Amino acid sequence: MIEMLSDPWLFITIAVGLFMAWAIGANDAANSMSTAVGAGAITPKQAVIIAGILEFTGAYLFGKSVTETVRKGIIDASQISDPHVIIYGSIAALLAASLWLVFATKFGLPVSTTHSIIGGIVGYGIVYAGTSIVNWSKMAQVVASWILSPIFGAIVAFTVIKLVSKTILQKDKPIESARRWAPVWIGLAFIVIGSMFYIKVMHGKSLFIAITRYGATAGLITFVISFVLLKRNFRTKDPYLGVEAIFKKVQVLTSAYVALSHGANDVANAIGPVAAVYAVATMGLAGMKVPVPKWILAMGGLGIAIGVATYGYRVMETVGKKITELTNTRGFSIDFSAATVVLVASWMGLPISTTHTVVGAVIGVGLARGVKAINKDIVKDIIISWFVTVPVAAIIAGIIFKILMVLG
Amino acid sequence: MQVWTKLFAKSPFKPLIKHAEVVLETVEVLEKALEAWEVGDYETMRNYARKVDDLEDFADRIKEEIRDSLSSKLFMPVNRGDILRYLHMQDKIADAAENTAKWLLVRDPNDMPEDIKEEIKSLIMKMSQESIKAAKLVYEAIVQMDTVIESGFGEKEIEKEYELIREIESVEHKIDELDTEFMEIIFKNSSKLEWGLGMYLLNIAKTLSNISDKAKDAAERIRLMMNK
Repeated sequence: MIEMLSDPWLFITIAVGLFMAWAIGANDAANSMSTAVGAGAITPKQAVIIAGILEFTGAYLFGKSVTETVRKGIIDASQISDPHVIIYGSIAALLAASLWLVFATKFGLPVSTTHSIIGGIVGYGIVYAGTSIVNWSKMAQVVASWILSPIFGAIVAFTVIKLVSKTILQKDKPIESARRWAPVWIGLAFIVIGSMFYIKVMHGKSLFIAITRYGATAGLITFVISFVLLKRNFRTKDPYLGVEAIFKKVQVLTSAYVALSHGANDVANAIGPVAAVYAVATMGLAGMKVPVPKWILAMGGLGIAIGVATYGYRVMETVGKKITELTNTRGFSIDFSAATVVLVASWMGLPISTTHTVVGAVIGVGLARGVKAINKDIVKDIIISWFVTVPVAAIIAGIIFKILMVLG
Repeated sequence: MQVWTKLFAKSPFKPLIKHAEVVLETVEVLEKALEAWEVGDYETMRNYARKVDDLEDFADRIKEEIRDSLSSKLFMPVNRGDILRYLHMQDKIADAAENTAKWLLVRDPNDMPEDIKEEIKSLIMKMSQESIKAAKLVYEAIVQMDTVIESGFGEKEIEKEYELIREIESVEHKIDELDTEFMEIIFKNSSKLEWGLGMYLLNIAKTLSNISDKAKDAAERIRLMMNK
């Protein structure tokens, strides 16, 4: 901590990193809990507390202790020899990404925080060394994810909602079928979530271990619990309400998982550049991967939690009041599908954005005639916002970087 | 992220059900007016008939609101045009009820020939009961349409919906028969009836049978909604 005070640039980077963490919390965190809040499973206040704690826990305990200084190797760090470039560049990237996130949050656009920081890094990279510094094949993957994520999300969600309604809602005796099938669906969802926990939160590599150890255990436990609970008490008056009541409880768990995993993964977007500057300030070198001190992780986690509490609260409150058309089975189908797509994609090495997949899943549920109304205009706005995220963040970062280079 | 609030637009089905509720109430109040008419309590009849008029106005306002909110930017499980045409037909049910109420207000039929008075009254009351049944079935059909969507267009729920539509069609058929019977009586006794009275009675019957006609048209539209 001492060296932080002695180096003003590190101090500034940490401040900007905190701002970025706050922006991530504000933009994304409400996302994890909003389906549960919207479907009435928890109140906005509860959601803020749960999300805040889990985001922090995810970031602090499960955030990567070694982080890539330039996210995902999007630019060639070996071309940067001047340590000042890393410092100014990191500040520029963080500031640009945070500003874009704040803007997007203000207009309710679900943009990817990862893509924002990638845009920021590409921006300063190009200003410094020209377009040759950019790893264009990585960039192509990012662009591909704009198309792949929503399409996969839509296909899987379409299938899931169709199967859920085929196995439960459309049967002659929905109550009987719900008793039998709901635990299966819940179990399946938790196989995915358990596996994701290993890969995304604990940063494990093997999908086999993920599924056999974590996925199978989580799936089995939730299957047995829900099976027993459904045998014992089930609101039988209205089968549809009964089914919704089951999925309502499940949704709290799936959103809790999303919050934890989000903290573990997205904290890197805020602290990666901070860690890079920290490495320069303390060791005087600019490497691709640097160890991240725990206190930087904690600050990232704190920043996200504050973002949830200050801005996320407002968002969740509006969500809680406004979303009436999101039932628990649909919310469950969306969560389950998005998680499955992200899991399979990370196993196959495909670049997938969770945010984009979720939006795709919503459209998939709509195409399956499961949602009563989707706003086409908003879908259009969202898709446009995905395409402009990287260029806009890049341009802002480029300008900030240029200014810092002149001043510094 | 506020995307959730914006991405999911307001479903048009809750307001459609609300509209159907008001339409049903309009027809129910009309029956009360006819009950008062049957016993000769014209003062009460007038009050109810005016209430029918108010309710029809209310239904109109809901209709306008739904139309305004159903912009083409919505992506819905059923065709937007089908919903609008359905709404139009559902609203026509209230219009038909209002037309009956208007005819009721035109004059006091205290000059009906004694020998056919009871027969006429009982036929009118039968028609009124059937039209209420039709309006109630339309209400049930739109609530069921909501369930059909809720179940992801489950075959079982679609079958239930077809059942309701068939019932509406059979009610309409029944009223048509009553209407024909009524016309025959009026023309058979036309020499005993003053022309104004005959016109008055025929129009009450005509407008009453119109209620079920419109209910049938609405049911037809629901059928179309299911075959997107």
